[in-house]
Amino acid sequence: MSAVLRTAAPAAEAISPHRLSVRRFARNKLAVGGLAVVVLFLLFCFVGPLVWPTDQTHTDLTQVNLPPGGAHPLGTDAVGHDELGRLMFGGKVSLLVGLAAGILATVVGTLWGAVAGYAGGWVDAVMMRIVDAGIAIPALFILLVVSAITTPGPLGLIVILGLVSWLVPSRLVRAETLTLKSRDYVLTLRAIGGTHGRAIGRHILPNSVSTIVVAATFQVADAILLVAYVSYLGLGVQPPATDWGGMLSAGLTAAYSERWWLIVPAGLAIILVVCAFNAIGDGLRDAFDVRGRA
Amino acid sequence: MSPARTRLVAGATLSVGVLLLSACSGTSDAPSGSRDAINYALPANFTPNWILPIGTAAHLNTNNSSISDTLWEPLIAYDGSTGKIGWNKKGSIATAADFADDGKSVRVTLGDRHWSDGKPITSRDVEFWFNLIKANKTKWAGYNPGKKPDNWTSFKAEDDRRFTLTFDRAYNSDWMLANELSDITPLPQHVWGKTSDSAAVSDADRSPAGAKKIWTYLNNSAKRIGSYASNPLWKTISGPYGVKSFSTAGKVVLAANKKYDGKEKPQISTVNLLPFTTADAEKNALRSGTVDYGYIEATDLDQKEQFTAQGYEVKPWSGWAITYMPYNFNNPQMGAVFKQLYARQAVQRSIDQENLAKVIYNGTAVPGYGPVPQGQKSDFLSPEQAKNPYPFSTSAARSLLTEHGWTEKGGVMTCTKPGDGPSECGAGVDKGTKFQMQVLSQSGSTVTDNMMSAIQSSLAKTGIKFDIKTAPVNSVLSQTPQCTAKQDICKWQLSYFGTAGSWYFSAFPTGDSLFQTKGGSNFGNYSNPSVDKLISRSTTSSSNAPIREYSAALAEDLPVVWLPEPVYQVSVVKEGLGGFSQDSLANFHPAQWKWTD
Repeated sequence: MSAVLRTAAPAAEAISPHRLSVRRFARNKLAVGGLAVVVLFLLFCFVGPLVWPTDQTHTDLTQVNLPPGGAHPLGTDAVGHDELGRLMFGGKVSLLVGLAAGILATVVGTLWGAVAGYAGGWVDAVMMRIVDAGIAIPALFILLVVSAITTPGPLGLIVILGLVSWLVPSRLVRAETLTLKSRDYVLTLRAIGGTHGRAIGRHILPNSVSTIVVAATFQVADAILLVAYVSYLGLGVQPPATDWGGMLSAGLTAAYSERWWLIVPAGLAIILVVCAFNAIGDGLRDAFDVRGRA
Repeated sequence: MSPARTRLVAGATLSVGVLLLSACSGTSDAPSGSRDAINYALPANFTPNWILPIGTAAHLNTNNSSISDTLWEPLIAYDGSTGKIGWNKKGSIATAADFADDGKSVRVTLGDRHWSDGKPITSRDVEFWFNLIKANKTKWAGYNPGKKPDNWTSFKAEDDRRFTLTFDRAYNSDWMLANELSDITPLPQHVWGKTSDSAAVSDADRSPAGAKKIWTYLNNSAKRIGSYASNPLWKTISGPYGVKSFSTAGKVVLAANKKYDGKEKPQISTVNLLPFTTADAEKNALRSGTVDYGYIEATDLDQKEQFTAQGYEVKPWSGWAITYMPYNFNNPQMGAVFKQLYARQAVQRSIDQENLAKVIYNGTAVPGYGPVPQGQKSDFLSPEQAKNPYPFSTSAARSLLTEHGWTEKGGVMTCTKPGDGPSECGAGVDKGTKFQMQVLSQSGSTVTDNMMSAIQSSLAKTGIKFDIKTAPVNSVLSQTPQCTAKQDICKWQLSYFGTAGSWYFSAFPTGDSLFQTKGGSNFGNYSNPSVDKLISRSTTSSSNAPIREYSAALAEDLPVVWLPEPVYQVSVVKEGLGGFSQDSLANFHPAQWKWTD
């Protein structure tokens, strides 16, 4: 009996919270499927052009609107670009902008929320009223105004999308910070002379990581959709660059001409990737949820 | 459902929603069908923004003038509304224009007509327009130095219904009628002849200072789009329709003018002019039956049967127009490059007009190589323009640049031999200058987007970097004005507003305001003294030889980038709507529309 206890106790101690989270995530088939879809799309967009090289800079007016076939598995568009290559080319922008804008929004929102929650008092009140005011203005409206003023490249889109999307993560992180800042280890650090920066950097943010990661995945999904919206309205990246939303917009004129290959692949790509990121976020939320670990 | 799962579903739903966005981006109206009303689709991304029947460059658009001509009937309606370009006397205030034998004056007789407030339309109303234009000519989009109104030396009223306009020399009477007198619109002096809302009506317009004040007052009033339906200024009209509502979003509702006493009486009591943000949104509205008179893009011609099955007729609307991209010769960065003929030749030789017309425009456009429209046969076209002096060849274009001191670096031609020698870049072009230019192009049209992509691609083969920025057509026009190098607004390099043709001519395609030095619509400040002389000769000579010479000169000198001439629009018209011809001068005439069944 005692031997059993001796062997069982170390085994229980060996499962760290992180490993437990990974196991829980791995058991979530939808989340794993989402991760697989994202990885496949990343490979498709970034490695695919090496396998299927196409000219996405120059048009070819002798090859326009060709249906799917041997030379062009997904056909060609209205100016002769190979549609499969264009899907990869546009996907790079959509994924890159989506990921970077999502991460930027999360970083800005995390810092803003942590400072507001930790400082409390009037600092918190002012910072969160700014957030409230920002949330009251639809992001799409701001995007359309900014895009009408300037012609954004991928970098510009990342900055613009990042700066209109940080509001929700800031609220989440602030709520988490309000809980964490009254914990004993934070109070002890302050009592022995630790700085506010150290308290936020070493204790509050690391302990909020589950919230931040989950928020980040949703931010990425939202950013990919926002890129699609803006591009669909003709205000996204300019030719010869494109993204999936822009491809959808360009192809929509063919909706009644039975040229499905100009619409379906780009539309499906947006749907799959956005759903995949949402599934990952859902899985991460469940994996980090302590209530489910009993 | 958990919040995250809700987001999952919402994300997918929103993505699918992207496919449907076009239906939400336009105007939503009740299905048509009433014989008392008609829904007419305005061009995509155009919102009417000017009511005053005096055009300024920032508000220059044929749709604006179509609306104002419907409210205030022109003195002489010289257009294609009768199926052939000519004087449509039924739609004019004047009934006769008798030119003196020496060709130096014209005596005009007005019809027995009245304003909507019951006051008679008199020579004084014409003189009021004349005084305003004379005193403010440089602000008027129709201004041509040396031509209208400079060449009108005096206005003399004989009585309330007759006046004589004297010219500075003899002119071709047809040209004068078609290209100059047709710009005159009698204005209600007894209502508009004041300098502020509260000022009394006076003869202030008879002094230049007073005319300037009235001009400012009227223009400022016209800038308040939201007040078009309520401002008393715009209630006194002479045309067949008045404004019932005019939204800043672009929807205009016209109501028949019950006091109209002209000969083009309105047949339909309410005309709804509907704005659309994109051609797709308009097409969706057509499919849903909310538009009676709309359009499709050239790329949609393969769907013709679908529209005819829905009770529409598809009728291409050919325009008497040319299409081009003006260079801004005063642009601080690229102006010096644009001033080099070889550089303009290199650009022109990089544009494959035949394939653009055939593929991008689905065969509905014709290549245009000069200043005379090539969509219709005419006696004005020179053989030089007709045969294309600069056929497409990117290798020839590259040679033109390399022979003049340009070397390709990183895919973009760069000036390596500055100077004005024969094998150097040319005067004012600095060493290291990159052949890199940006166009501000009209948004809202897939055909235009595709054409710009194709041009960008072929220019890249020559080594010319071509960036594309898009904006609604009103923004393009207001952001690409005539300018001097020191002005902030002069940053624009190329401009494109020609989705439905860039410039619609009067009957005589003299282009005097387009290409004459300081011409009112010479956006890029092109200047060539020998062309100025040819333009002048073309207007005074009774022969068409000077206009053919002008055609040849501008086909060779390339004041703009010549582009294919599309049809004005591929119209889709509800069966039973008839009684009119599509005006090749691109105006619409609601008073001529009627339901025939």
